[in-house]
Amino acid sequence: MTPGDVAESPSSVPDGAAMPWRAELEELEQRRAYARSLGGAAAVDKHHHQGRLTIRERIDGVVDAGSFKEVGQLTGAGRYDEQGRLLGVTLAPYVMGLAKVDGRPVAIGGEDFTVRGGTSWSGDRKKGGQGGFVEDLAHQYRIPLVNLIDGAGGSVTSIKRRGHSVFPGVHGFERSVQLMGEVPVVCAVLGTAAGGPAGRAILSHWSVMVKDTSHVFAAGPPVVERSLGQKISKEELGGPQIAVATAGTIDNMARNEAECFELIRRYLSYMPQNVWQLPPRGETSDPVDRCDDLLRSIVPENRRQPYDMRRVIRSIADADSVFEIQPTFGKAVITSLARMNGHVVGFIANNPMIYGGAMDGKAARKQTHFIELCDCFHIPLIFLVDVPGFMVGKDAEAAATLREGMRSVYVGLQATVPIYTVVVRKCYGMAGMGTTDKNGLDFKIAWPSAEWGSLPIEGGVAAAFRREIESAADPKAREAEIEAELRAAASPFRTAEAFGVEEIIDPRETRPVLCAFIEAAQARLAAHTGPKPKYGVRP
Amino acid sequence: MTELKSDVTGSVWKIVISAGQSLQPGDTVMILESMKMEIPVIAEDGGTLVELRVVEGQSVIEGQVLAVVKE
Repeated sequence: MTPGDVAESPSSVPDGAAMPWRAELEELEQRRAYARSLGGAAAVDKHHHQGRLTIRERIDGVVDAGSFKEVGQLTGAGRYDEQGRLLGVTLAPYVMGLAKVDGRPVAIGGEDFTVRGGTSWSGDRKKGGQGGFVEDLAHQYRIPLVNLIDGAGGSVTSIKRRGHSVFPGVHGFERSVQLMGEVPVVCAVLGTAAGGPAGRAILSHWSVMVKDTSHVFAAGPPVVERSLGQKISKEELGGPQIAVATAGTIDNMARNEAECFELIRRYLSYMPQNVWQLPPRGETSDPVDRCDDLLRSIVPENRRQPYDMRRVIRSIADADSVFEIQPTFGKAVITSLARMNGHVVGFIANNPMIYGGAMDGKAARKQTHFIELCDCFHIPLIFLVDVPGFMVGKDAEAAATLREGMRSVYVGLQATVPIYTVVVRKCYGMAGMGTTDKNGLDFKIAWPSAEWGSLPIEGGVAAAFRREIESAADPKAREAEIEAELRAAASPFRTAEAFGVEEIIDPRETRPVLCAFIEAAQARLAAHTGPKPKYGVRP
Repeated sequence: MTELKSDVTGSVWKIVISAGQSLQPGDTVMILESMKMEIPVIAEDGGTLVELRVVEGQSVIEGQVLAVVKE
């Protein structure tokens, strides 16, 4: 059954003059048939040939079968003959309504590209896009919003239609912004998004686009050529290589629309319905006391050798529960939603494969967003720390690493969810400090491979002991001697003696220890739900 | 053909597999040095290493193509 259909077809309306409202009910069916035909068979065929699904197929792909209750199905511009009889309807290019994902209600909508390329349309009330009924539904009912974006926004042709030019913000982002603090907002870019729809995609907690068929930019190639004289393809300007991997404008990429819908469902499975609730606890058959021996040997004794931090995350989290956000952007840090004994958590892990885990501007931006996301939806954070500090060098300074890094530290200090710090190897400097819960329990767990300080010993000895080294008979030998002496004193066990780190564990015990504390934190999490207004000015 | 690109700016420390050799998925093709770390360049899918575009000691930048693998 097509979504929005009712069980009865026109033929089921009984014959006979006694049937009240017969003509009207038939007209309703006729109007619904127009709505189902979207922009017409030719436009739908063309859309399919481009490897893209229609908005109705997309909604079906995301939501639970048969759960879509359409709103505003009849919206559009009717065409009438001289007697006032309906000849057809040019539909409003937006389809939306209420549906369910995994049994939970969501507001969902998207542009219908087969009608006028999904450009904006104005009736008495907007259906969706920026503002509109679908956003009001998410706000009023406190349910997640899913935007399936496939439109190029406003068109200058509207000046001719209206007889005047609209001021920017007449159909503004005020509701979209409000939703960011209330309910999960997911935006999928499923075509070429420019202008308003492109901006709408960014005002989300998580965004995704599809390889080969999706592009997103402030303005497309014709505008770029006119403004800057640059000839550039859509793919080069706003394909996933730029928008996802290079810029982080969109969070994740899907290989096709079907995978995109699966990712949307998966993302929502980690989210509460709104900020007044906790995320749903998932089912797991993974034992809470599972100890993975791999964790004992994964960190090489040679400090110059990196290892696969994603394997560490998978070894600790519930089996098959890890969902990585922004996997190809800011790769020096890994951010993943996951579950621990069913409870949703956020992992933030340094990636030693990328610059030894040093935090650059992009990684810091990614970390900042992920902390805010988890804090907003009451998801405890687990830092797996192997960070030598902020990234150094001219490129890093030019990329505002220090500012982005300190912004991440600032946002971390404003977060009120429990934060667990697991020091896997290096924990140095301000980037290291940014992994701790200074305003909370400040619970730091270290593996025996851990080391920490204001800066790594090898980098600091030459500067701090310059005079002593220079005046020695054999300066190199003296430097090595001092380094060895300091390294012995920098053993994590010495800090544990001083209770400067709260616990040192066998790495294989990481899962059971974290699961126990995360379980214990649930009551406190439940007592602190609601919106989290933030004060102050982010650096 | 798959281009193996550098994730980091640094230098080529050691080339492990030479052109013409076959690769198993997950094999280390070369090791880069960056931020005092030895960063392996891994062929995710395996195949044959058809071209090496760098030599030991050479500086490389993030995103630079280091080698080409044919599946």
